[in-house]
Formats: sequence, structure tokens, C-alpha cells
Amino acid sequence: MIPDLAQEGKAQQQAWVPEAQAPVVMLNNVGKTYGRYQALGGISLALSGGVTGILGLNGAGKSTLFKLLMGKLQPTQGEVRLFGTNPWKNPAPYARVGYVPENEKMHDWMTAHEFVSTFARLHGLTRDEAKKEANRVLEFVGLSDVMHKKIGRYSKGMRQRAKIAHALVNDPDLIILDEPLQGCDPLARTTIMNVIRELGRMGRTVLLSSHILSEIERITEQIVILHQGRLLAIGNLHAIREQLDNIPHTIEIECKDAKSLAKDVLSLDMVHGLQFPSSSKLKVFTHHLGEFHKRLPKIIVDNEHDVMVINNPDDDLQSILGYLTGGFR
Amino acid sequence: MDKKRGETIWTSLDRKATAIAEFTMRQYRTRLSTWVVLGVGFLAISVVLLFYIDAMNTEIEAIDNDGDSLDWDGDGYVNGQEYKYGTDLNDAASHPGLLDPPIDPEPASMYINEDDYDWDYSDGSRLEVGIDDDGDCNNSSLPESLKDDNNDGTPCNIVLVYDSLSGSYFVYADPYVDEDPDEDRYGKEAQHRAFILGVGKLGFVFLLSIFVPLFLATGLIRDEMTSGTMQYMTAKPIARGEIFLYRMLGYLAIVWPYLLVVCSLLAIVSGFMGPGDQIFRFKDLGVWFSILIAALLATLVYGMLFAFLGVLWKYGIILALPIAAWELGMALLSMTVPESTFLRMSIVGWSMSIIDSGAYLVWPDMALFTQKGAWAGGTGDASFFFGGGKELPGYRALEWAQSDLGLGLGPYATTVLSVVVLFCQAVFFWFIGQLIFKSKEIV
Repeated sequence: MIPDLAQEGKAQQQAWVPEAQAPVVMLNNVGKTYGRYQALGGISLALSGGVTGILGLNGAGKSTLFKLLMGKLQPTQGEVRLFGTNPWKNPAPYARVGYVPENEKMHDWMTAHEFVSTFARLHGLTRDEAKKEANRVLEFVGLSDVMHKKIGRYSKGMRQRAKIAHALVNDPDLIILDEPLQGCDPLARTTIMNVIRELGRMGRTVLLSSHILSEIERITEQIVILHQGRLLAIGNLHAIREQLDNIPHTIEIECKDAKSLAKDVLSLDMVHGLQFPSSSKLKVFTHHLGEFHKRLPKIIVDNEHDVMVINNPDDDLQSILGYLTGGFR
Repeated sequence: MDKKRGETIWTSLDRKATAIAEFTMRQYRTRLSTWVVLGVGFLAISVVLLFYIDAMNTEIEAIDNDGDSLDWDGDGYVNGQEYKYGTDLNDAASHPGLLDPPIDPEPASMYINEDDYDWDYSDGSRLEVGIDDDGDCNNSSLPESLKDDNNDGTPCNIVLVYDSLSGSYFVYADPYVDEDPDEDRYGKEAQHRAFILGVGKLGFVFLLSIFVPLFLATGLIRDEMTSGTMQYMTAKPIARGEIFLYRMLGYLAIVWPYLLVVCSLLAIVSGFMGPGDQIFRFKDLGVWFSILIAALLATLVYGMLFAFLGVLWKYGIILALPIAAWELGMALLSMTVPESTFLRMSIVGWSMSIIDSGAYLVWPDMALFTQKGAWAGGTGDASFFFGGGKELPGYRALEWAQSDLGLGLGPYATTVLSVVVLFCQAVFFWFIGQLIFKSKEIV
């Protein structure tokens, strides 16, 4: 054993061979309880390839599911397999996984470049290779120009992107992103969504969680819905969405001149009604949420409306959950 | 070495090791608390060093142990001089000035510290030493039988017998031989040795080696688990046992150079300040080296132990405090009863026996040297019936700071055994620590 102090030459990967034919992610009747609280109960799932959105309200078990996959938690029942290997027992599959935790805490005292390259070296890269890889992924997430600044001085969106960059540094086959869009401004949101879509196009398996349906909708159609620790639905969002169109939705729009906006919005045939809570606020009722969201931007741009906020908080997901669980909300 | 670098699994392992160690080092460096802890430790040691410097610069008052600088009869000739010429101490009409040719009176200062020890060290169990420098034994009017009080056939000498059971010397002295030692010469040497051993044992092995790890290592793993940043490291293809070990390397990369610097500073200052004719006391470096080794190993073991306690419980520092208290007890025990079996169940006991071994090798005359201080020209505790408790200055401190080898082995064997035991303790704590860490869920 000669210490590799010079750290030159090509890096060697861990001698771990993934099980052939095994799905990237496999959960077999997996449950996790904390004392008497059941965070996750009997989930079975197999995923390979593509971008999958894990949807659920806060406390639905999304993070628990990811932490089980990342070997942070030990399942109380069932089997978790990453590339056919039990991650609680063996960290080797992480050579092919990138994980973006939900936790906002980061190593604020490092620059993004140091952060990414340091953790790249845990994949067995040399210093030089790690630096090169860090440059590559930071470029990919659009942080090249600020990568030598301390993370502590970053905005939320930049921090999220730094986290994503750190997860991509080993060119992983599976990327797990826990609430990657949370707290980001619209610009950062768009950048991150583009990054995730790009990863999907590159043929990677991407899992991302969110409690906002419209976010997921802009990235992928393949979704998994979790509710109170249980698997509620797996499948194509469109199929679920179509059935949803019979449920009324409310959208709140804050703008300078609510009345003139109302006039233009009423020209859309999917709008069922309007309400004016104040002179700068407009409530729109519609059955066809997706369609409305597609057409609204054009109206705003064409008529030069000064819109501050468009708000339909958890509303759509709430509706789906209400619909799927049989109650109306 | 003809194998190309970067080809074995080991190379990728130590890439991870250096990555985590470097990361941990930098993390420590950016924290203010690290510098506060190290700075306070340095200040504490510096204060002791200042006391030492002060002691080395203060002349120890010379004491006339045998009382011959007095002039009982007031004739201008001190007792010592009258003794030498055989005149009557108590009769002013009898003094060396009346002799033919007359002798001038000598100053009293010539009769203070005028008969210092002439005890050369050898490792024999029976030594015949002592020279009556001032002639108050050889030239005195004592009968020959009293001049050979210890019955060894030689008048005016001292016989030292080593008692292997107690590890100390017995002094059998003829009267007025080496009876007025030089307090300053003895005291400086004793204080110097006491300082090195005291600061080595309590300063380095106890204070620095317990409190620096207590504040720096307890949170080594735990802080990141609490704050959630451990998520990043545990999401990489690296076992938790390795994370524990490599973070420890980063901790050592901060603490070990620190100990080296502080220890070297003290070694250099005390080497130049210390008593003796030479410019620098090179021999003492051996003791300082053993102090450094002991402190390095102690910080390793305590680091592993406290990091393990931190992993075990969120408030691991609460578990660490009773251990620190136990170790303080063991530190004091090791200085008084070095052969106690309790010490085997401590970290500090093993570390201190490394220092004792180093001192034993560098200062083999320690048992004789402390006996010199206790005997104090015949006025000290055990050997002088009615003048007990008048040890030489510095003796008490040295007696407190030094201790015998408690394992019943030679100095080399003691060192080797202690190093091996400390190393095993470190491995043991690492092993349990990483087992606990593996079983912990990171939320």
C-alpha cells in the first residue's frame, strides 16, 4: 500500500459490479415507522430511466422515501435496492448516484468549486480530475461565473444549483432531487428545470419530489403520488389530469388593474367565474387548470398587464388528492 | 514501484482519505472555536512557562546548613575557620589570629555552601561517595571511630545503598561530610526537572490532550449529523467507518502540529534557560520527545473516544465530562502511586508512563538526585533525627512531578507496551465508534 500523495493519473473506481438486469430503483413493500408514527407504509415500486416526479403534500413521505434509497434510514419493513444492492448495508452503489438533499444547510465556508471538487474526490477522482469535473458540472448548472465565491453568500437558487452540481459530478445514472425548486425565484426555477429536463434527455433516471403539481408538470409526465405514507398513483400525468378537469380550481392573480385583466380573462372559454377581493386582486374559477395556465401568459403579454403574483398554492395537488381519495376539496 | 500509480484500490481509498482529511482540516480552520480552544491551551501552558522562567532567574538563597558561618564567641573568626585550625569555638581568647604565623579572618560567606555534594552517579547498588571539602571532618578533633560513623573502614565518607524494593537510596554518612550543599545548584536543577515533568504530565498529557479533543473531537461527526451536512458525505460511495477514520485524520492534522509547536517551544526555552554550564541542554530533548509522543497518542485516543461519544449521543460532551474527571483522578494517581492497577483502565496512566520512561532514560540518577534533596546535607527528613523536614529547595516539586516506572518493566519495555496499549485503545474506540455510526439514521 503506497500512499498516493502525488495523485496523478486516471482515477480508479470502486470494484463494485451492479447486478445485471436489476432495476435502478426497486422498493418491495417498504415501510418506515418512527415509534407509532408511520412515515411510509408498504410501498412497492420499480423505476428505470426517465424523469419521475414524486408528488405529495408535506409529510407525505417523499423525503423519507429518498432517505431510504440513500441509506440514511433503515427500513422497518421490506427491501430497498439500488442497482440490486441494499444501500443501508453497502454504500458502493452511490458511485452511480447523485443526491440533492432537501436540507438547506451547506458548507457555507467553501466556494462552490471547492465544495463540488472536494466531494468529487470521494468518488476516487484525483485533485486535478475533480477540479476539471467541478468546472464541467458548474458550467452545466450555470454557476461558472460565481463558482469561486463562498456558498454562504449565494442566493437560494444558486445554493440549490451548487447542490445539484455536486450531485452530478460523478456523471451518475440515477439522480435524486429532494424539493430542488423549493424557495427558488422564477429565474432559478427555470434554470433548474432545464437542467433536470436535460438530464432526462441524456437518458438518466431522475427522481424529483415536489408538492407543487405545476412544477412537476413542466418537467415530466411520469409521476408517483404519495399521500400519508402510501402510494396513491403511479403513471402518466395526462391521464390523471384529464379526469381532474371536472373539478373547479381557483387561481389568484395580483395585478395593477384587476378590472381590465378580468375583461381579457373572461374571453377564455374555460373560465367559469370571477371574483374581486380587492381592486388589485382577481380570483378566477376554472375547470381546466392546465389549459388556463397555457393561455394565461399570452393574455398577460399581449395586453401588457402588470401582474405581480399568480397564485394557486398546492391547490391543484390538493384537488388531485381529494379526487383520488374520493372526497371533494 | 514499477507499478503505475493509480492502479490499485488503495490509491482510490487514500484519495478519499486525503479529500476528507483536507476538508476536515479546512473546516476546523474556518471555525473560530478551534482557534479559541488552541489559543487558551497555549496561554495556559505559557503561564506555566513564565513561572518557570521566573524561577530560573531567581537566585535561591544560600543556606548555611551546618551553621559554621556563625561566630559564636565573637572573636571575628567564624566557627568554620576556627574548626579548621582547631581553636575553641566558644572562647574569644582562642582563635587562628593568635597562631604563629597569625591567620587573617575569612569572610563568613566562605562558609556557606562550602561543602557541596560530591556524589557521582553510578547504577551500582552500593556507592562510596563524599569528600569533606572544608576539612571539618578530616581535620576535626573527633576520635577516629566517630570519623567513620558508618563503619565502612574509610573515615569521612558517605555510603549510599540502593534499596530496590522502595526504589530509593539510603544515606549512611560520616559526620560533617558534604553537609553544606549548594541550594541554588540543587534547586535550579530540581525545579527544572520538576517543570519538565509537571508540564509534560499535567500540561500536555492531561490539560491539552483531554480538553483539546473534548472541544474539537466530540463534534467531529455529531455536528455534521445535527446540522444535516453529513448528508453530502454519506451520499458518496464511502463507508461510514472510513468517514469516521478520515475525519479523525483531519483532526489529527490540526492537533498534532499544534502539539509539536507548543512542545518544541517549551523544549527550546527550557533548554536555553535550564541550569548547567552548557548553552543548551540537549539531553532534555529526550524527555521532551517522550512528552510529545505521549501527548500525540493521548490526543489520538481521546479524539477517538470523544468522537465516538459524540456519535453515540447528541449530548456526548456530557458523557465525556465524567471521563475527563476520571482521567484527572488517574493523572494524580499515576504521579503518586504509579503501580496502581486502576491506571491500566485509563488513558492518562499509559501516556504518563511513556514520560516516566523517557525521564528514566535521560536522568538515570533521578532516585539518587531526589535522595540528595531529601537528605539535604544531613538536615533533611529521614536521615537527621532532630532536624527533619529541611529538604533542599525544589525537592518537594520534583518529588511530586516524578514517579517511578509503575509497570515493573524497564524503560524501553514500558514505552513499547504503553504505545501499543494506547494504539489498541484508539483502534478499539474507532471500531465501536464506526459501528455506532453505521447504525445511526441520518435525518
